[in-house]
Amino acid sequence: MRRRASLVLLAFAVFCAALSPLLRWYAFPRLAKVPAGQYRTVVMEAENATLIDYGTLKPRTVPRLTVVQTLKGNVEKAREVGAETGRDVVVWDTLSYAAGPDGAMVSMIPERYVFDAHSQEPVHAGGEHVDGTPVRRDGIEFKWPFLVEKRDYRYFDLMTRTSAPIHYKGTRVFHGLDVYYFEQTIPWTKVPLPRKLPLGISPDTVRRLGLERWYTTRRMFWIDPVTGAPVNGEEIHSEEMRWTGDPGKEPIPAFSGHVKMRPDYVDSTVALVASQRQLVLLLTSYLPWGLLALGGVLLALSLALEARDRRAVAADRAHDGGKPERVTPEGVA
Amino acid sequence: MRALAAAAIGLAAALALVLAVTAVGPPRGETSPEPLLTSAPARP
Repeated sequence: MRRRASLVLLAFAVFCAALSPLLRWYAFPRLAKVPAGQYRTVVMEAENATLIDYGTLKPRTVPRLTVVQTLKGNVEKAREVGAETGRDVVVWDTLSYAAGPDGAMVSMIPERYVFDAHSQEPVHAGGEHVDGTPVRRDGIEFKWPFLVEKRDYRYFDLMTRTSAPIHYKGTRVFHGLDVYYFEQTIPWTKVPLPRKLPLGISPDTVRRLGLERWYTTRRMFWIDPVTGAPVNGEEIHSEEMRWTGDPGKEPIPAFSGHVKMRPDYVDSTVALVASQRQLVLLLTSYLPWGLLALGGVLLALSLALEARDRRAVAADRAHDGGKPERVTPEGVA
Repeated sequence: MRALAAAAIGLAAALALVLAVTAVGPPRGETSPEPLLTSAPARP
Protein backbone atom coordinates (compact mmCIF):
# COMPACT_ATOMS: atom_id res chain seq x y z
CA MET A 1 0.00 0.00 0.00
CA ARG A 2 2.82 2.37 1.00
CA ARG A 3 4.67 1.40 -2.17
CA ARG A 4 1.67 2.39 -4.31
CA ALA A 5 1.31 5.74 -2.52
CA SER A 6 4.98 6.56 -3.12
CA LEU A 7 4.56 5.80 -6.84
CA VAL A 8 1.49 8.05 -7.08
CA LEU A 9 3.40 10.83 -5.30
CA LEU A 10 6.31 10.36 -7.69
CA ALA A 11 3.97 10.70 -10.68
CA PHE A 12 2.55 13.95 -9.25
CA ALA A 13 6.06 15.23 -8.47
CA VAL A 14 7.15 14.67 -12.08
CA PHE A 15 3.88 16.23 -13.31
CA CYS A 16 4.51 19.41 -11.29
CA ALA A 17 8.23 19.61 -12.10
CA ALA A 18 7.57 19.19 -15.84
CA LEU A 19 4.63 21.62 -15.85
CA SER A 20 6.75 24.40 -14.35
CA PRO A 21 9.10 25.05 -17.33
CA LEU A 22 6.41 24.06 -19.84
CA LEU A 23 4.13 26.83 -18.54
CA ARG A 24 6.86 29.47 -18.57
CA TRP A 25 8.61 28.64 -21.85
CA TYR A 26 5.93 26.91 -23.93
CA ALA A 27 2.48 28.01 -22.76
CA PHE A 28 3.20 31.64 -21.83
CA PRO A 29 4.54 32.77 -25.26
CA ARG A 30 1.49 31.17 -26.89
CA LEU A 31 -1.17 32.28 -24.41
CA ALA A 32 -0.02 35.84 -23.65
CA LYS A 33 -1.43 38.03 -26.36
CA VAL A 34 -3.22 41.31 -26.87
CA PRO A 35 -6.97 40.59 -27.16
CA ALA A 36 -8.26 41.29 -30.68
CA GLY A 37 -11.48 42.92 -29.50
CA GLN A 38 -10.06 45.47 -27.09
CA TYR A 39 -11.77 48.87 -26.72
CA ARG A 40 -10.04 51.64 -24.74
CA THR A 41 -10.33 55.39 -24.43
CA VAL A 42 -7.82 57.78 -22.93
CA VAL A 43 -8.44 61.46 -22.30
CA MET A 44 -5.48 63.82 -22.22
CA GLU A 45 -5.50 67.52 -21.44
CA ALA A 46 -3.22 70.51 -21.91
CA GLU A 47 -3.83 73.47 -19.59
CA ASN A 48 -3.23 76.99 -20.95
CA ALA A 49 -2.30 75.76 -24.38
CA THR A 50 -1.50 77.96 -27.37
CA LEU A 51 -3.63 77.27 -30.42
CA ILE A 52 -3.79 78.81 -33.88
CA ASP A 53 -7.01 80.53 -34.92
CA TYR A 54 -7.40 79.51 -38.57
CA GLY A 55 -9.80 82.44 -39.14
CA THR A 56 -7.19 85.10 -38.32
CA LEU A 57 -4.03 82.96 -38.57
CA LYS A 58 -3.03 84.26 -35.11
CA PRO A 59 -2.19 82.23 -31.99
CA ARG A 60 -4.43 82.41 -28.91
CA THR A 61 -4.20 80.90 -25.46
CA VAL A 62 -7.00 78.56 -24.45
CA PRO A 63 -7.60 77.41 -20.86
CA ARG A 64 -7.77 73.76 -21.86
CA LEU A 65 -7.27 71.57 -24.92
CA THR A 66 -8.62 68.01 -24.72
CA VAL A 67 -7.35 65.06 -26.72
CA VAL A 68 -9.60 61.98 -26.77
CA GLN A 69 -7.83 58.90 -28.00
CA THR A 70 -10.00 55.88 -28.78
CA LEU A 71 -8.61 52.50 -29.66
CA LYS A 72 -10.90 49.82 -31.04
CA GLY A 73 -9.92 46.26 -31.98
CA ASN A 74 -11.34 45.24 -35.36
CA VAL A 75 -11.85 41.47 -34.87
CA GLU A 76 -13.19 40.73 -38.37
CA LYS A 77 -10.24 42.48 -40.04
CA ALA A 78 -7.82 40.73 -37.65
CA ARG A 79 -9.28 37.37 -38.67
CA GLU A 80 -8.93 38.30 -42.35
CA VAL A 81 -5.31 39.49 -42.01
CA GLY A 82 -4.52 36.45 -39.82
CA ALA A 83 -5.77 34.08 -42.56
CA GLU A 84 -3.78 36.04 -45.16
CA THR A 85 -0.48 36.15 -43.24
CA GLY A 86 -0.76 32.99 -41.13
CA ARG A 87 -0.08 34.99 -37.98
CA ASP A 88 -2.07 35.82 -34.89
CA VAL A 89 -2.83 39.46 -35.64
CA VAL A 90 -4.52 42.40 -33.92
CA VAL A 91 -5.96 45.32 -35.91
CA TRP A 92 -6.53 48.54 -34.01
CA ASP A 93 -8.57 51.35 -35.54
CA THR A 94 -7.82 54.47 -33.53
CA LEU A 95 -8.87 58.10 -33.50
CA SER A 96 -7.00 60.99 -31.91
CA TYR A 97 -9.54 63.78 -31.61
CA ALA A 98 -8.41 67.17 -30.27
CA ALA A 99 -11.02 69.68 -29.13
CA GLY A 100 -10.82 73.23 -27.83
CA PRO A 101 -12.46 74.42 -24.59
CA ASP A 102 -15.80 74.86 -26.40
CA GLY A 103 -15.65 71.24 -27.64
CA ALA A 104 -15.06 72.34 -31.25
CA MET A 105 -12.73 70.14 -33.27
CA VAL A 106 -9.09 71.23 -33.50
CA SER A 107 -7.84 68.18 -35.36
CA MET A 108 -8.78 64.55 -35.86
CA ILE A 109 -6.41 61.87 -37.06
CA PRO A 110 -7.59 58.29 -37.64
CA GLU A 111 -5.10 55.44 -37.79
CA ARG A 112 -4.97 51.73 -38.44
CA TYR A 113 -2.29 49.80 -36.60
CA VAL A 114 -1.79 46.10 -37.48
CA PHE A 115 0.54 44.05 -35.29
CA ASP A 116 1.43 40.58 -34.03
CA ALA A 117 -0.73 39.75 -31.00
CA HIS A 118 2.16 38.08 -29.14
CA SER A 119 5.27 40.11 -29.99
CA GLN A 120 3.65 43.45 -30.96
CA GLU A 121 5.79 43.52 -34.09
CA PRO A 122 4.05 45.48 -36.87
CA VAL A 123 2.43 43.41 -39.62
CA HIS A 124 2.38 45.10 -43.01
CA ALA A 125 -1.07 44.09 -44.19
CA GLY A 126 -4.70 44.98 -43.70
CA GLY A 127 -4.42 48.60 -44.77
CA GLU A 128 -2.27 50.17 -42.05
CA HIS A 129 -2.53 53.94 -42.39
CA VAL A 130 -2.33 57.30 -40.68
CA ASP A 131 -5.02 59.83 -41.62
CA GLY A 132 -5.82 57.82 -44.76
CA THR A 133 -2.21 57.74 -46.00
CA PRO A 134 -0.66 54.25 -46.18
CA VAL A 135 2.34 53.83 -43.88
CA ARG A 136 4.81 51.06 -43.14
CA ARG A 137 5.45 50.99 -39.42
CA ASP A 138 8.70 49.92 -37.83
CA GLY A 139 8.78 49.41 -34.09
CA ILE A 140 5.97 49.71 -31.57
CA GLU A 141 3.12 52.12 -30.96
CA PHE A 142 0.73 52.59 -28.00
CA LYS A 143 1.91 49.47 -26.15
CA TRP A 144 5.21 47.72 -25.36
CA PRO A 145 5.63 43.93 -25.66
CA PHE A 146 5.00 41.70 -22.64
CA LEU A 147 7.98 41.48 -20.24
CA VAL A 148 9.56 44.79 -21.23
CA GLU A 149 13.35 44.95 -21.31
CA LYS A 150 15.49 47.76 -19.91
CA ARG A 151 16.59 48.98 -23.33
CA ASP A 152 15.68 51.44 -26.06
CA TYR A 153 12.84 50.52 -28.43
CA ARG A 154 11.79 51.98 -31.77
CA TYR A 155 8.53 53.91 -31.45
CA PHE A 156 6.30 55.05 -34.30
CA ASP A 157 5.52 58.77 -34.40
CA LEU A 158 2.05 59.57 -35.66
CA MET A 159 2.90 63.07 -36.91
CA THR A 160 6.11 62.39 -38.83
CA ARG A 161 4.89 58.89 -39.77
CA THR A 162 8.34 57.48 -39.10
CA SER A 163 9.88 55.51 -36.25
CA ALA A 164 12.67 56.69 -33.96
CA PRO A 165 14.29 55.31 -30.80
CA ILE A 166 12.49 55.77 -27.51
CA HIS A 167 15.04 55.65 -24.71
CA TYR A 168 14.81 53.69 -21.46
CA LYS A 169 15.59 56.22 -18.72
CA GLY A 170 15.30 54.09 -15.57
CA THR A 171 12.82 52.56 -13.16
CA ARG A 172 10.29 54.70 -11.30
CA VAL A 173 7.53 54.07 -8.78
CA PHE A 174 4.22 55.33 -10.14
CA HIS A 175 1.04 55.01 -8.03
CA GLY A 176 2.66 52.12 -6.13
CA LEU A 177 3.75 50.23 -9.27
CA ASP A 178 7.38 49.73 -10.32
CA VAL A 179 7.43 51.01 -13.90
CA TYR A 180 9.98 51.70 -16.63
CA TYR A 181 10.27 55.30 -17.80
CA PHE A 182 10.84 55.93 -21.54
CA GLU A 183 11.43 59.19 -23.36
CA GLN A 184 11.55 60.16 -27.04
CA THR A 185 12.36 63.54 -28.54
CA ILE A 186 11.33 64.35 -32.08
CA PRO A 187 13.29 67.37 -33.34
CA TRP A 188 11.61 70.08 -35.45
CA THR A 189 10.33 68.22 -38.52
CA LYS A 190 8.07 69.22 -41.40
CA VAL A 191 4.88 67.15 -41.14
CA PRO A 192 1.73 66.76 -43.25
CA LEU A 193 -1.37 68.73 -42.32
CA PRO A 194 -4.32 66.67 -41.02
CA ARG A 195 -6.97 66.05 -43.69
CA LYS A 196 -9.64 67.54 -41.41
CA LEU A 197 -9.04 71.01 -40.03
CA PRO A 198 -11.34 73.42 -38.16
CA LEU A 199 -13.72 75.81 -39.98
CA GLY A 200 -13.86 73.43 -42.94
CA ILE A 201 -10.39 74.53 -44.06
CA SER A 202 -8.59 72.01 -46.24
CA PRO A 203 -4.83 71.31 -46.21
CA ASP A 204 -4.75 72.67 -49.80
CA THR A 205 -6.09 76.05 -48.60
CA VAL A 206 -3.27 76.26 -46.03
CA ARG A 207 -0.70 75.30 -48.66
CA ARG A 208 -2.06 77.95 -51.04
CA LEU A 209 -1.51 80.54 -48.29
CA GLY A 210 2.16 79.57 -48.46
CA LEU A 211 2.25 77.79 -45.09
CA GLU A 212 3.62 74.44 -44.02
CA ARG A 213 3.38 72.62 -40.68
CA TRP A 214 6.40 71.87 -38.49
CA TYR A 215 6.40 69.97 -35.22
CA THR A 216 8.57 68.90 -32.29
CA THR A 217 7.72 66.88 -29.22
CA ARG A 218 9.14 65.29 -26.09
CA ARG A 219 7.15 62.15 -25.41
CA MET A 220 7.22 60.42 -22.01
CA PHE A 221 5.81 57.03 -21.06
CA TRP A 222 5.61 55.14 -17.77
CA ILE A 223 5.37 51.46 -18.73
CA ASP A 224 4.39 48.48 -16.61
CA PRO A 225 7.27 46.06 -17.32
CA VAL A 226 5.11 42.93 -16.92
CA THR A 227 2.24 43.68 -19.33
CA GLY A 228 3.99 46.37 -21.41
CA ALA A 229 0.98 48.65 -20.95
CA PRO A 230 1.50 52.40 -20.42
CA VAL A 231 0.14 53.56 -17.06
CA ASN A 232 0.85 57.20 -17.84
CA GLY A 233 1.85 59.33 -20.80
CA GLU A 234 2.79 62.96 -21.27
CA GLU A 235 3.92 65.06 -24.20
CA ILE A 236 5.48 68.51 -24.42
CA HIS A 237 4.31 69.29 -27.89
CA SER A 238 4.85 72.32 -30.18
CA GLU A 239 3.68 73.00 -33.72
CA GLU A 240 4.14 76.03 -35.91
CA MET A 241 3.16 77.12 -39.38
CA ARG A 242 6.21 78.21 -41.34
CA TRP A 243 6.21 80.23 -44.55
CA THR A 244 7.17 78.01 -47.49
CA GLY A 245 10.32 79.26 -49.17
CA ASP A 246 10.67 82.16 -46.73
CA PRO A 247 12.51 80.86 -43.65
CA GLY A 248 13.26 84.42 -42.46
CA LYS A 249 9.56 85.26 -41.94
CA GLU A 250 8.25 84.81 -38.39
CA PRO A 251 6.41 81.44 -38.08
CA ILE A 252 2.91 81.29 -36.58
CA PRO A 253 2.64 79.14 -33.44
CA ALA A 254 -0.03 76.53 -34.22
CA PHE A 255 -0.02 74.61 -30.95
CA SER A 256 2.04 74.58 -27.81
CA GLY A 257 1.21 72.73 -24.63
CA HIS A 258 2.07 70.09 -22.06
CA VAL A 259 -0.39 67.27 -22.68
CA LYS A 260 -1.07 65.00 -19.69
CA MET A 261 -3.45 62.14 -18.99
CA ARG A 262 -6.55 63.23 -17.08
CA PRO A 263 -6.13 62.10 -13.43
CA ASP A 264 -9.24 59.86 -13.40
CA TYR A 265 -7.90 58.06 -16.49
CA VAL A 266 -4.53 57.59 -14.78
CA ASP A 267 -6.31 55.96 -11.81
CA SER A 268 -8.44 53.66 -13.98
CA THR A 269 -5.44 52.69 -16.14
CA VAL A 270 -3.32 51.88 -13.08
CA ALA A 271 -6.16 49.75 -11.64
CA LEU A 272 -6.62 47.87 -14.93
CA VAL A 273 -2.90 47.25 -15.42
CA ALA A 274 -2.46 46.14 -11.78
CA SER A 275 -5.11 43.44 -12.31
CA GLN A 276 -3.83 42.35 -15.74
CA ARG A 277 -0.25 42.00 -14.52
CA GLN A 278 -1.39 39.33 -12.01
CA LEU A 279 -2.48 37.12 -14.93
CA VAL A 280 0.91 37.49 -16.63
CA LEU A 281 2.76 36.93 -13.35
CA LEU A 282 0.67 33.79 -12.75
CA LEU A 283 2.14 32.20 -15.90
CA THR A 284 5.65 33.63 -15.66
CA SER A 285 6.34 33.48 -11.94
CA TYR A 286 3.70 32.28 -9.45
CA LEU A 287 2.77 28.98 -11.15
CA PRO A 288 6.26 27.97 -12.42
CA TRP A 289 7.95 28.56 -9.06
CA GLY A 290 4.99 27.21 -7.05
CA LEU A 291 4.83 24.02 -9.12
CA LEU A 292 8.58 23.52 -8.90
CA ALA A 293 8.45 23.79 -5.10
CA LEU A 294 5.42 21.49 -4.94
CA GLY A 295 7.20 18.99 -7.18
CA GLY A 296 10.18 19.01 -4.82
CA VAL A 297 7.97 18.45 -1.76
CA LEU A 298 6.09 15.60 -3.45
CA LEU A 299 9.35 13.97 -4.55
CA ALA A 300 10.71 14.19 -1.00
CA LEU A 301 7.49 12.63 0.37
CA SER A 302 7.62 9.88 -2.23
CA LEU A 303 11.25 9.07 -1.36
CA ALA A 304 10.47 9.14 2.38
CA LEU A 305 7.58 6.68 1.91
CA GLU A 306 9.74 4.43 -0.25
CA ALA A 307 12.53 4.48 2.36
CA ARG A 308 10.07 3.62 5.16
CA ASP A 309 8.69 0.77 3.11
CA ARG A 310 12.17 -0.64 2.48
CA ARG A 311 13.10 -0.24 6.16
CA ALA A 312 9.97 -2.13 7.19
CA VAL A 313 10.78 -4.99 4.81
CA ALA A 314 14.40 -5.08 6.05
CA ALA A 315 13.18 -5.12 9.72
CA ASP A 316 10.86 -8.08 8.99
CA ARG A 317 13.75 -9.98 7.49
CA ALA A 318 16.09 -9.14 10.44
CA HIS A 319 13.46 -10.39 12.95
CA ASP A 320 13.62 -13.97 11.67
CA GLY A 321 17.29 -13.81 10.80
CA GLY A 322 16.51 -13.52 7.19
CA LYS A 323 16.02 -17.27 6.95
CA PRO A 324 13.52 -18.65 4.53
CA GLU A 325 10.27 -19.91 6.09
CA ARG A 326 10.42 -23.50 7.17
CA VAL A 327 8.43 -25.70 4.88
CA THR A 328 6.22 -28.06 6.81
CA PRO A 329 6.16 -31.52 5.29
CA GLU A 330 2.70 -32.44 4.10
CA GLY A 331 0.72 -34.71 6.34
CA VAL A 332 2.86 -34.03 9.51
CA ALA A 333 0.50 -31.42 10.87
CA MET B 1 10.67 -0.17 -13.33
CA ARG B 2 7.44 0.90 -11.60
CA ALA B 3 9.07 4.19 -10.61
CA LEU B 4 10.00 4.85 -14.23
CA ALA B 5 6.44 4.12 -15.35
CA ALA B 6 5.06 6.52 -12.70
CA ALA B 7 7.46 9.26 -13.81
CA ALA B 8 6.49 8.72 -17.45
CA ILE B 9 2.79 9.03 -16.57
CA GLY B 10 3.45 12.32 -14.74
CA LEU B 11 5.45 13.71 -17.65
CA ALA B 12 2.85 12.66 -20.24
CA ALA B 13 0.04 14.23 -18.19
CA ALA B 14 1.94 17.56 -17.95
CA LEU B 15 2.61 17.59 -21.70
CA ALA B 16 -1.00 16.70 -22.52
CA LEU B 17 -2.35 19.45 -20.25
CA VAL B 18 -0.08 22.17 -21.67
CA LEU B 19 -0.72 21.14 -25.28
CA ALA B 20 -4.49 21.09 -24.71
CA VAL B 21 -4.54 24.50 -23.01
CA THR B 22 -2.39 26.17 -25.68
CA ALA B 23 -4.36 24.51 -28.51
CA VAL B 24 -7.62 25.98 -27.17
CA GLY B 25 -6.06 29.39 -26.43
CA PRO B 26 -7.81 32.49 -25.11
CA PRO B 27 -11.09 33.61 -26.74
CA ARG B 28 -10.82 36.08 -29.65
CA GLY B 29 -13.72 38.30 -28.60
CA GLU B 30 -15.92 40.55 -30.71
CA THR B 31 -15.50 44.02 -32.18
CA SER B 32 -16.91 46.50 -29.71
CA PRO B 33 -20.09 48.28 -30.85
CA GLU B 34 -18.80 51.47 -29.13
CA PRO B 35 -17.83 54.30 -31.51
CA LEU B 36 -14.52 56.13 -31.89
CA LEU B 37 -15.14 59.12 -29.64
CA THR B 38 -15.24 62.78 -30.63
CA SER B 39 -15.92 64.13 -27.12
CA ALA B 40 -14.40 63.40 -23.75
CA PRO B 41 -16.42 61.04 -21.55
CA ALA B 42 -17.25 62.39 -18.10
CA ARG B 43 -15.58 59.38 -16.49
CA PRO B 44 -13.42 56.44 -17.65
